[in-house]
Amino acid sequence: MKVEEFQYDDKVVRKFAIATVLWGVVGMLVGLLIAFQLVVHQLNFDLPFLTFGRLRPLHTNAVIFAFVGNGIFAGVYYSVQRLLKARMFSDGLSNFHFWGWQAIIVSAAVTLPLGITTSKEYAELEWPIDIAIAVVWVVFAINFFGTLAKRRERHLYVAIWFYIASIVAVALLHIVNSLALPVSILKSYSIYAGIQDALVQWWYGHNAVAFFLTTPYLGLMYYFMPKAAQRPVYSYRLSVVHFWSLVFLYMWAGPHHLLYTSLPQWAQTLGTTFSIMLIAPSWGGMINGLLTLRGAWDKLRTDPVLKFMVAAITFYGMSTFEGPMMSLKSVNALSHYTNWTIGHVHAGALGWNGFLTFGMLYWLVPRLWGAKQLHSTKMATTHFWLGIVGIGMYVMSMWAAGIAEGLMWKEFDADGRLVYGTWADTLPTLNPMYWVRGLGGVLYFTGVIMMVINLWKTAKSGTPVDQTDSAPALEPVKVEGGRLHRLLEGKPLTFTVLTTVAVAAGGAFEIIPSLLIDSNVPTIAAVKPYTPLELEGRDIYIAEGCYNCHSQHIRPFRGETERYGPYSKAGEFVYDHPFQFGSRRIGPDLHRVGGKYPDGWHYRHMVNPRDTSEGSVMPTYHWLADEPLDLSMTQAKVKAMTVFNVPYSDEDIANAVENAKAQAAAIGKRLEEQKLPNAQDKKIVALIAYLQRLGTDIRAEGAQ
Amino acid sequence: MSQVNDELLDHEYDGIREYDNPLPRWWLGIFVISVVFSVIYIPYYHFMGGPHQEDEYAAEMAAAAANAPKVEKLDEAALQKIAADPTRIGAGKALYDKHCVACHTADGGGLVGPNLTDKFWIHGGSLTDIVHTISEGVPEKGMISWKSQLSADEIRSLAAFLHTLRGTTPANPKAPEGEPYEG
Repeated sequence: MKVEEFQYDDKVVRKFAIATVLWGVVGMLVGLLIAFQLVVHQLNFDLPFLTFGRLRPLHTNAVIFAFVGNGIFAGVYYSVQRLLKARMFSDGLSNFHFWGWQAIIVSAAVTLPLGITTSKEYAELEWPIDIAIAVVWVVFAINFFGTLAKRRERHLYVAIWFYIASIVAVALLHIVNSLALPVSILKSYSIYAGIQDALVQWWYGHNAVAFFLTTPYLGLMYYFMPKAAQRPVYSYRLSVVHFWSLVFLYMWAGPHHLLYTSLPQWAQTLGTTFSIMLIAPSWGGMINGLLTLRGAWDKLRTDPVLKFMVAAITFYGMSTFEGPMMSLKSVNALSHYTNWTIGHVHAGALGWNGFLTFGMLYWLVPRLWGAKQLHSTKMATTHFWLGIVGIGMYVMSMWAAGIAEGLMWKEFDADGRLVYGTWADTLPTLNPMYWVRGLGGVLYFTGVIMMVINLWKTAKSGTPVDQTDSAPALEPVKVEGGRLHRLLEGKPLTFTVLTTVAVAAGGAFEIIPSLLIDSNVPTIAAVKPYTPLELEGRDIYIAEGCYNCHSQHIRPFRGETERYGPYSKAGEFVYDHPFQFGSRRIGPDLHRVGGKYPDGWHYRHMVNPRDTSEGSVMPTYHWLADEPLDLSMTQAKVKAMTVFNVPYSDEDIANAVENAKAQAAAIGKRLEEQKLPNAQDKKIVALIAYLQRLGTDIRAEGAQ
Repeated sequence: MSQVNDELLDHEYDGIREYDNPLPRWWLGIFVISVVFSVIYIPYYHFMGGPHQEDEYAAEMAAAAANAPKVEKLDEAALQKIAADPTRIGAGKALYDKHCVACHTADGGGLVGPNLTDKFWIHGGSLTDIVHTISEGVPEKGMISWKSQLSADEIRSLAAFLHTLRGTTPANPKAPEGEPYEG
C-alpha cells in the first residue's frame, strides 16, 4: 500500500471561524437591543427598521444561520478532512460555499430590517434568497459527498453520520417549507394556507432546531470532545442506537408547537408522543459526551475548552428534557405563547450552541493559526464564568416571567372576571424579569467580547498553517463479515439513502395526509376571502412583523375565550397565505380583534399606543399614517391568490384597485367622524381594514 | 453501570478511539418507558374516549358557570342611591380614568366614542341602560363588553360617575348622537 502525502484546506476553516465570531457578535448585539426594547419601547429610536417586529427575525436568523451556521461549517470542514484523511473535494466549491453563505447573511441583514419577509419563523427570507440558500447548500453537499468519495478512511466515524443526516434533512426542510408563489422580486405567498401552512412551518421550525442546531453540533461534539479530552468515546453501540433513533423520531415532533390549536387532534398527539420518545435518544448524545471524560475529570479544573464543552453538553441534556416536558399538553397549556419558551430556546442557543462553539474555537484557533497556545487561559476561564452566570440569569428570569404571565392570563376572581383584564396589567410583573434577562445577556456578551480579544491575540502570536498529513490510499476491496452497522459505515451511499428514508418518514406521514384529506380542515361557509384592501393591510402586518408579538390563534381555554372571544377554528384560516398564528404573546392575541374597537381607536393606537392603552410597550407606528398606500401590486396579488383556488371572480380581479379605494374612502370618512385625519390614501387604512376583518366571518355563521 | 467493560474497538479516526460499552440500563429504561407512554397515550385519546380539547373546554366552562356568583339585579331606584354615594362616584372616576378616557376623553366630551356629557343617549340614558351598555357592550359599534374585566359593583360605580358628567361642559364636545333622555 502506497502512503500518500496531502495537505488539508485549513484556509477555508479559518475563514469560517472568523465569520462565526463576527456574526456571533452582530447577532447577539441585536438580541440585546430587542431584549431592552421590551422594557423601554423608545429604544427603536423612532426608526421603522429598528422596531422589534423587524429586528427579532434578524436576531434569530443571525444567531442560527450566521453564528451557528458558520460554526458548523468551520467545524465540519476541519473535522471531515481529518476524519476522512482527505483534502476537501474542491477548493473552488469550498470558497463558493463560504462567500455564498456570507452573501446570503448580508442580504438577510439588509432585507429583514426593511420589512421584506415571508413571516415564517426562521424562514423569513424572501424567495430569491431562498433559492440562493438552496444553491449554496447543494454546493456544500457536493463538496462534502465528493470528499467522502475520495476518502482514505474506509469507515465513517459517528460525527460523519450526523453531518450526513444534517445535510440531507436541512435540504428537505428548506425546500418544502419555502415553496411559494412570487408576485414580485421581493414578495411571495406561501403555497400552503392556514393550519396546513402552520403544520409545514413547525415541521420545519422544530427540525431546524433538530438538524441545524442539534445534529451538526452532535457531530462536532463527537470530534472535538474526544480530541480535547484525549479520551476514547464512551460507547460505540450507544452512538449507533441514539443516532438512528434521533434522526427517525425528530421529524415527527413538530406539531408540539401547535398544541391546543385547531390542528387535528391526531397530529397533536403525534407531536406529544414523539417528543417524549425523544428524551432517550437525545440523552444518548449527552451520555456519550459526558462519559467520554471519565478518567479525565481533573482536566476540567484547568482546561477552559473542556469547561465549555462539558457545560454545553449539560445544557443540551437539560434542554432536551425540558422540551419534551413542554410538549405535554397540560404543561403547554401554561407555557405556550409565554417567555418560558424564550428561556427554553436560550438555554439551548446560549448553552449548547454558544458554549460548544466557544470551546471549539478556543481549541481550534491556536492550531489553525499556528500559535503555541491560547493567549490567555485566565481570560477564557473568566469568559466561561460570565457566560454561565449570564445564562443562569437569562433562563431563570424567563422561566419566572413565563410562568407568571401564563398564570396571570388565566386568573379569574370570585366574581368570574379576569384579574388582569387589561393587557398592561401584566406588564409591571414582567418588567423586573426583563431587566434581569437583559443584564444576563450583557454578561454573556461581555464574555464573548473577551473571547474575541483573546482569539485575536492568539492568532496574532502565530503564523497560519495548513496542516499536512499522510495516509495509505483506499484500496477497492470487498468488505465482508463483521457487524452489520460496521459494514454500513463503509458504504456512504447506502448510509445516506437509509438516513434520508429515516428523516423523511415523519414529515411525509404528517404533512401529506393533512394536505390531501379534507376532513382535517372542516370548512366554514361564512368564511370569505379578504378584500383587496385587507390583503394589502395583511401584507403591511407581515412586513412590520406584527406576528412577532401578537398571536392570531385563540386556544380553547376559559382564560382565552373570555379575553379574546370564541376559540379559533381551522376553517377560518383557509385563505391565509401564509398563516399568522405567531408563537408568542408580547401583546394580546388579535384573531378576534375585528370590530372590537372603532376604526379611530386603531388609528390612535398605531400613532401612539399609549394614547389608547396606558402602559403599553408597543413602539409607535406613526409613519403608517404618513406613508402613502401603494396599490400598484394589488391586482397582481389578488390574481396570485386565485392560483391557490381562493375564490375571486374575474370582476374581483378587474376591480381590485377600485374596490380597495372605495373601502379606504369609507374608513377615511369614519376616521373623520371620529375627529381624526382622513387617512384614506395612507398605509394605516389598509392595516385598519385588515384588523377590522380579523375573526369576524364566523359571526355571520352564528347568525345563520 | 456494572456492565461497563471499557473494551476498545480496533479502529481509530484521526486519533479518536471508541469503547464498545453496552447501553446504560437506566438509559434503556427511560427509552422503554417513553415508548410505553406513547403506546398507552395514543389509544387512550383516540380509541378509548379520552377527552379531546373541545371536551376539556366544555367542562371548564361548565365548572365556571356553576361557580358563578349570583348577581342581584338592582332596579333604577337602587342605582340612583349608588349614584348619590360619593365613595362610589370616586371609585367610578378611577375606573373611568383607567379604562374609558381613550375613547370618551377625560372630560367625557367624546372622541372615538360618543359624548357622555349631553342628554343624548344612543343606547338609553337611564342608569339601568348605562349599566347594561357597559356590561354587555355594543360590539357592532366598537364598545366592548366590560363584564369580564369589571365586577357588577364596579360597573355600577362607573355608571354613578357617568351620572355626574351629565350637564358638564367639556372642552371639545362631540356632536350629540341618539335620543334625548330626561331623567
